[in-house]
Amino acid sequence: MRLSDLLRFAGGALHGHRLRTVLSVLGVAIGVASVILLTGLGEGARRYVTGEFASLGANLLIVIPGKTETKGMAPLINTAPHDLTRQDAEAILERVRSVQRVAPVVIGTARANAAERTREITVVGTTRDLLEIRHLKVARGRFLPRDVPEAALCVLGARVARELFPDQNPLGQLVRVGEWRFRVIGLMAPRGTSIGLDLDEIVAIPVDTALRVFNRTSLFRILAEVRSRSDLDGAERAVLALLRERHSGREDVTVMTQDSVLATFNQILGALTAALVGIAAISLGVAGLGIMNVMLVSVSERTREIGLLKAIGVTPSQVTAVFLVEAAILSSAGGCVGLLASVGVERLFLRLYPDFPIQPPGWAIASALAVSFSVGLIFGILPARNAARLDAVQALMRRKT
Amino acid sequence: MSFQDLFRLAWQSMWFHRQRSFLTLLGILIGIASVILLTSIGEGTRVYVLSEFTQFGTTLAAVNPGRIETSGAPGALGVTVNPLTLEDAAALDRIPGVERVAPVVMGAAEVEHAGRSRNVFVYGVTSSSPEVWRMRVRGGRFIPEMDWRRGAPLAVLGPKLSRELFGDQTSLGRHVRISGQRYLVIGVMQPKGQFLGFDIDDSAYIPVAEAGRLFNRLDLHEIDVLIANSSLIDTVVGRIKRTLIERHNMEEDFTITTQTGMLESLDRIIRIVSLAVGGIGAISLLVGSIGILTMMWISVNERTSEIGLVRAIGATSTQVLLLFLTEAILLSTVGGVLGLVAGIGLAQALHVYLPALPVSTPVEFVLLALIVSLLVGVGSGLLPARRAAALDPVVALTEE
Repeated sequence: MRLSDLLRFAGGALHGHRLRTVLSVLGVAIGVASVILLTGLGEGARRYVTGEFASLGANLLIVIPGKTETKGMAPLINTAPHDLTRQDAEAILERVRSVQRVAPVVIGTARANAAERTREITVVGTTRDLLEIRHLKVARGRFLPRDVPEAALCVLGARVARELFPDQNPLGQLVRVGEWRFRVIGLMAPRGTSIGLDLDEIVAIPVDTALRVFNRTSLFRILAEVRSRSDLDGAERAVLALLRERHSGREDVTVMTQDSVLATFNQILGALTAALVGIAAISLGVAGLGIMNVMLVSVSERTREIGLLKAIGVTPSQVTAVFLVEAAILSSAGGCVGLLASVGVERLFLRLYPDFPIQPPGWAIASALAVSFSVGLIFGILPARNAARLDAVQALMRRKT
Repeated sequence: MSFQDLFRLAWQSMWFHRQRSFLTLLGILIGIASVILLTSIGEGTRVYVLSEFTQFGTTLAAVNPGRIETSGAPGALGVTVNPLTLEDAAALDRIPGVERVAPVVMGAAEVEHAGRSRNVFVYGVTSSSPEVWRMRVRGGRFIPEMDWRRGAPLAVLGPKLSRELFGDQTSLGRHVRISGQRYLVIGVMQPKGQFLGFDIDDSAYIPVAEAGRLFNRLDLHEIDVLIANSSLIDTVVGRIKRTLIERHNMEEDFTITTQTGMLESLDRIIRIVSLAVGGIGAISLLVGSIGILTMMWISVNERTSEIGLVRAIGATSTQVLLLFLTEAILLSTVGGVLGLVAGIGLAQALHVYLPALPVSTPVEFVLLALIVSLLVGVGSGLLPARRAAALDPVVALTEE
């Protein structure tokens, strides 16, 4: 029997029982669509996180004061006996050769006043190099000047500028933060939230001034950008050694690389996606059971037909092939319908949430289709073998039920 | 036709097609089992997390510097122009309805003894902290009552830290160096275990003024307030807010989190996640009910002449409808009950195998699963049953 004959034969049988065919296909389609959609969601979440981190710059070391051996969900450490200072940051830039830029960072909240308008803001005390390290853009004016760690100058985030100065040019105006007055020298381009910090809400001021405003002696963190990715490990060791030397022999800072943070995120998201997809894949098994059941019914209904086939010389393996092909057609049709449905839902999703890059990876689609095909083959084996084992004479004599 | 008859007839026809009935109800079984398993894990997690939080007491309120609305994360920033001070804490202590106040300064530091050292969290606390945090001292005593602004070189160790530094020996009466400064160990805490993966036992406690000196900061990370009783929470939180605003130049530059508020939002989050995961599990149930629909449809087709006969001897179309509906419901509820047993069994087995994973199956879930499987039977049986009921007896009888 040729493949085309097999297909035609199976197709004819399926066409004869349209409703049950449609229902069997529907079962597999629901399973395949949910597996593909969940993979797409997981992949989308992964891309979203990766994108967020990429905007940070890929070759970044983050130095945080304090170090603990306690594992687990530790609160973000930012207090340690030894201050992390701007001098530490400068030493990193001078002494660690692979580091090309550093930005010391102090973050805090304060109330800002300008011309009778008041609002809560996030103050970021830093230096000029933050601009390149975080890939920020200045819309008007300029960013903090180089080598002036202490001055009463500030750069406003997009929303802060709009809300403090709704109908005048903020450049050159004065903003009061706490007890201090700052002259506005630049406006940031709108940027949105990046890793939990809304960059449109910030007011950037020189780092030493920020320490004074908040009455602090220690930086929150130091961002250090290395020349190339391959330098990251070496630079991490060099920074740790340098700071140990500067902090009287104690290793009291934590250095994180963006890669390690990203790897943790990827691991968590990967495990989560796998778990959800696994749960959804159970439904494929249930759909397979449905196919098996329908095929069993189909074999018992077509006992006489099978007897006839055998009588005219069709071998048992050919009979097996006929029913296996029928089951495989059912399940692969389900796979295709499921794929189409998932594409439709994705389109809808993208229209509703254009920022979230939902997209199942190619391998997920391919394997979902492969699985749907094999579901038919696996669950078709038992009915097909039942059919092949039928004795031709008895099958022909069996009264139609 | 009595209910018993209906049931018997449905059972007979189910039994006659044992194999296909089994496969059909297996689909429902798997669906119900996965939903029950997943929601049991979700509920277990919820109960676990809530108990982790309530171990600190439900009448606790935490005051942190900074406004959440601006920064998004008070713990990450927690720096403001007007920080929280010991004087603020003392002022809160005078508010009626406030039982105890625990100011906190915390940081990471190295604790050493005889060549062994360990980097841990060091908390600057006062004598009121054990009561506020519901912690107990295992040996010795906690930081005694003293002027908050004056320190004393005394330290209390968490049990894990004590073991790491002193082994099996007692640490009481010995000295440790915390970031180079000598402290006399006057107490060891009782084990409290992990809090959401964070080991509380691996820390050291010193007077709040000492921590301020050690970490070179005059302000507090947090002020924890124990409220006298739970009916007073809202009133007292209002008073705390007014007192602090007055002390901070009329600015609300702090955030108050109540334990009850936090519990509510956690509870909501976990419920939503668990519902979503349960929903994904329910996809199997949907596919399983499509299986029932298919098999009942086939069954109606096969038994067309039988239906004709039953109608010819006087059965009404309602009775035929009920007959097929009963069969579908029987399939789905038997599958549901077995699935329930399998789901609970799997959940418990998982708990034995992975004791860290809490599971819990409340009675509501069991009832809900049974109701759902009943509804699945009605939903998927209705269409085939109506088709059977609508058959014309004469046509049905002649069909063969």
